[in-house]
Amino acid sequence: MFEFLVQRAAISVVTLFVISMIVFTGVRMIPGDPARVMAGTDADAAGLEAVREKYGLKDPIALQYLRWAALALRGDLGESIRTREAVVHTVATKLPITIELAFLSLLVAVSIAIPAGVLAAVRRNTLWDVLTSGASLCGVSIPNFWLGIMLILFFSVRLGWLPASGFVSIWESPLANLQRMLMPAFVLGTALAAVLMRQTRNSMIEVMSADYIRTAYSKGLAGRVVVFRHAIRNGLIPVVTILGLQMGALISGAVVTEQIFVVPGFGRLIVEAVFTRDYPLVQGVVLITASSYVLINLLVDVSYSLLNPRIRIRSSAGDA
Amino acid sequence: MTPSAAATTAGPTPTDRPVGPWLRAWRRTRRRPASAAGAVIVLLFIATALCAPWIATVDPIQGDWKQIRKAPTWAHPFGTDDLGRDNFSRVVWGARISMQAGVFSILLAIAVGVPIGLVAGFYRGALDQVIMRLTDAWLAFPFLILAIGLVTIMGPSLTNATVAIGLGATPTYIRLTRGLVLAIAAEDYVHGARALGAGDVRLMTRHVLPNIVSSLLVQATISIPIAIIAEAILSFLGLGVQPPTPSWGTMLNTAQQFLETAPWMAWWPGLAIFSLTLSFNLAGDGLRDLLDPRDY
Repeated sequence: MFEFLVQRAAISVVTLFVISMIVFTGVRMIPGDPARVMAGTDADAAGLEAVREKYGLKDPIALQYLRWAALALRGDLGESIRTREAVVHTVATKLPITIELAFLSLLVAVSIAIPAGVLAAVRRNTLWDVLTSGASLCGVSIPNFWLGIMLILFFSVRLGWLPASGFVSIWESPLANLQRMLMPAFVLGTALAAVLMRQTRNSMIEVMSADYIRTAYSKGLAGRVVVFRHAIRNGLIPVVTILGLQMGALISGAVVTEQIFVVPGFGRLIVEAVFTRDYPLVQGVVLITASSYVLINLLVDVSYSLLNPRIRIRSSAGDA
Repeated sequence: MTPSAAATTAGPTPTDRPVGPWLRAWRRTRRRPASAAGAVIVLLFIATALCAPWIATVDPIQGDWKQIRKAPTWAHPFGTDDLGRDNFSRVVWGARISMQAGVFSILLAIAVGVPIGLVAGFYRGALDQVIMRLTDAWLAFPFLILAIGLVTIMGPSLTNATVAIGLGATPTYIRLTRGLVLAIAAEDYVHGARALGAGDVRLMTRHVLPNIVSSLLVQATISIPIAIIAEAILSFLGLGVQPPTPSWGTMLNTAQQFLETAPWMAWWPGLAIFSLTLSFNLAGDGLRDLLDPRDY
């Protein structure tokens, strides 16, 4: 088990290292003087000199990278050109909003997908199964920003039930916050629900045909007990992995969803940063997103190995 | 048992007659009407994209000041937009942009990803390790974040959006190709060809590559709809196609400002993306069945 964790962690460290190199190189590929890129077009000579000094822009490129990476590891990702605020600080104020949105949409996705997927697997080849498969296919195919616009059109413009956009902090008024987060969470959750539903159905079908399930049935256990006590436990293991892999899609989806519903989160921050050519902010957001993706997947792998003892045993035997 | 083997042992009954690949494909297609319908709709969209100048006779860029935000009529079946341009023409021309971005970005991903994956899977060892760690890191950038980063560096345009989407899809093809090559390179016929003196290049191009084409084709039917949505998203955010060129994404971006007065502006471009991606997914499911050699 320990060996497995160390191995997984080592791969993550290498991945993080490569990611940082890609981001560093990417920013250097922006045409123009790197000091100008980082300080902004309206920086004066002193400002440019300060940036050159901080990042050692006269040193060899390898040294520049090391200096930059050391600063990044200490949490110094530079300051936003537009607001002159530290990038880390800006991200820290925006992130909780996106995390709330992601959490709510995960809640939406799981509460739709898992019951529907399990039921489709148990009642395989019935009308319910066909309907779930169809819904899942539509969920994957529908562009989430269009779904968002259609929801606004129906629930805000036509019926006037929900506010079309805007944001109220959950600490200010939980009810107003939920009212405004409901549609974004649903939009973001739809695609995830579609993928999870398919995965839940497939893995439950596989588990339901296992020998131990047949044994459970032949012991005379009720169908409900077999499904809930025996099948779901194993059937949901692969679903956990899919959840981890879908994190990237969730982050991408948040960018679009926040744009449509004017939610002032992480996703809106990056789009604004691109339009205002706020390169330090873009660099910071991209670096933080990719790193958190790696860390989340490390956590998923670890939790997966806790859920499925076979992985631990195989790795300690040395062949995984 | 293959149909031809069945014919020799069980005698010629109508279903056991040896059939050609085309007839077999037709029979399987008939079993999946939804996939067939999807394929037909995809073909219709391709035809629309190719024949846009003849289908949409009204200029998609020239506005008419007397026709601003008019509801659908016979003259303008999809209504008009905020500059008095015909929405039907714009949706038709938008098909061209979407198809272009979807197909070319995935072709780029295949052109870059397949050779890299082939080399990694074929030679393995240290080179493979380096390539796979790079691929892991590349995959850690969420698709849209990567595309946004690249467009920031290169500047917003249709070409750059296509390149960004293609590069975003590349690691998937590296991984897929490498995995398939690892499996195929261990087959006896590859060892046999090598024993007969075939060189690495010949082995890769004549023996390995032909056996992974169908899997790549299936993957392409999965990636193209994703790429089409990605282009629409980038254009929606203002990072892809620039106005006044008609694109479904930019049309939806404009439509969002006029939801209360001109909701039809939002219906058609979105419906076009949805039906195209849904049809692609349906057709892709069918193709996967069609190309699966296990299912005889």
